[in-house]
Amino acid sequence: MNTDDLISRLSQDVPPVPRRAVGRRLAIGIAFGGVVSAALVVLVLGIRPDLGLAMRGPTFWMKWSYTFSLAIAAVVMVVQLARPDSVRLRWTWLLAAPVTVLGILGVTELARTPPGEWLAMWLGHSWMICPWLVLALAMPIFVGLLWSFRRLAPTRLRAAGAAAGLAAGAFAATVYCIHCPEVSAIFVLTWYSLGILLAASLGALLGPRLLRW
Amino acid sequence: MRADEDVLRRLMIDGLGGDAAAHAALLRLLVPVLRGFYRRRANGSEDDIEDLVQETLIAVHGRRASYDRERAFTAWVFAIARYKMVDHFRRVRRLQPIDGLEDVLLAEDFEPATQARLDVEELLAILPAKQARMIRATRLDGLSVAEAAEAGGIGESDVKVSVHRGLKALVARIQGGGR
Repeated sequence: MNTDDLISRLSQDVPPVPRRAVGRRLAIGIAFGGVVSAALVVLVLGIRPDLGLAMRGPTFWMKWSYTFSLAIAAVVMVVQLARPDSVRLRWTWLLAAPVTVLGILGVTELARTPPGEWLAMWLGHSWMICPWLVLALAMPIFVGLLWSFRRLAPTRLRAAGAAAGLAAGAFAATVYCIHCPEVSAIFVLTWYSLGILLAASLGALLGPRLLRW
Repeated sequence: MRADEDVLRRLMIDGLGGDAAAHAALLRLLVPVLRGFYRRRANGSEDDIEDLVQETLIAVHGRRASYDRERAFTAWVFAIARYKMVDHFRRVRRLQPIDGLEDVLLAEDFEPATQARLDVEELLAILPAKQARMIRATRLDGLSVAEAAEAGGIGESDVKVSVHRGLKALVARIQGGGR
């Protein structure tokens, strides 16, 4: 096609773009994916029976704050990587903050527990499936983010894929909190984080293929 | 109309506001800029160059939501253009394993180069606007002095003097380490 014709064709479709379009688009993708993940938790895994009670205690909110703040930090990365011209990532240290805080909580928790119970506390009841469930629940959110990226312009595809996977994993873990009855900080630090890292690795692996434009 | 940063950015912002005429004007102004960009870097046929230009225009149009109104427009456009070029080389490389060696090296040098560019942008920020703009045009965007003069609407000797003074100030800044 002739370039002039192309330009006239493109110029027929010029909808206004709101100022915070990148954030909005990412939020929509995450929200749609998140709804699907939440539905999967409710319908397939089931809400933990004592959720109401748990929400009044600190443990639930410890887990939830960890995964949610990690998710926000990951979204900060995704927003930057969604633009073509942002080469140096800022605020990456935000990712370390939740991990550090939970690590400190985990150490104090260990100090208060007799060493004989450490292993049981670390493995909980669900260590074998927890990372895989987080990874599975991350998939709808990752797909939502892929949709968001279709109007955005990532140029570092592996990094963008990894950040999207990280965000998807962390949001998935946040949703998973309404099912998972585990209570210890070191359980969350290990197995939740492992699931989130699996999602990030998958994102890094698939990014160059799926995000190409 | 001259295709310099201020003009292009204004048109882009108007286009983002829904002004179709501004958007069309922007795309038309970008055509010669992109042709020059690709001709200088990709030694493909004119058809290849035109394909790259069109692909870039489609990307600029389809992904315009990724432009941040607070940032430089040309940096955004050239980042897209570079991405399209790298992508193009990746595709071509599969078919021509030996011929495109320089291009492959160029493509793989992409990330450090853009990172270096960011450092350069920070340094350029300390210079007077005209010097920074002329250094950017001649040394980063690869325009010739004549092209830079035309784009900036100033004389060629003015371009040379600006670049020379700007570079001298940068050298002094880097060697001195102080401010």
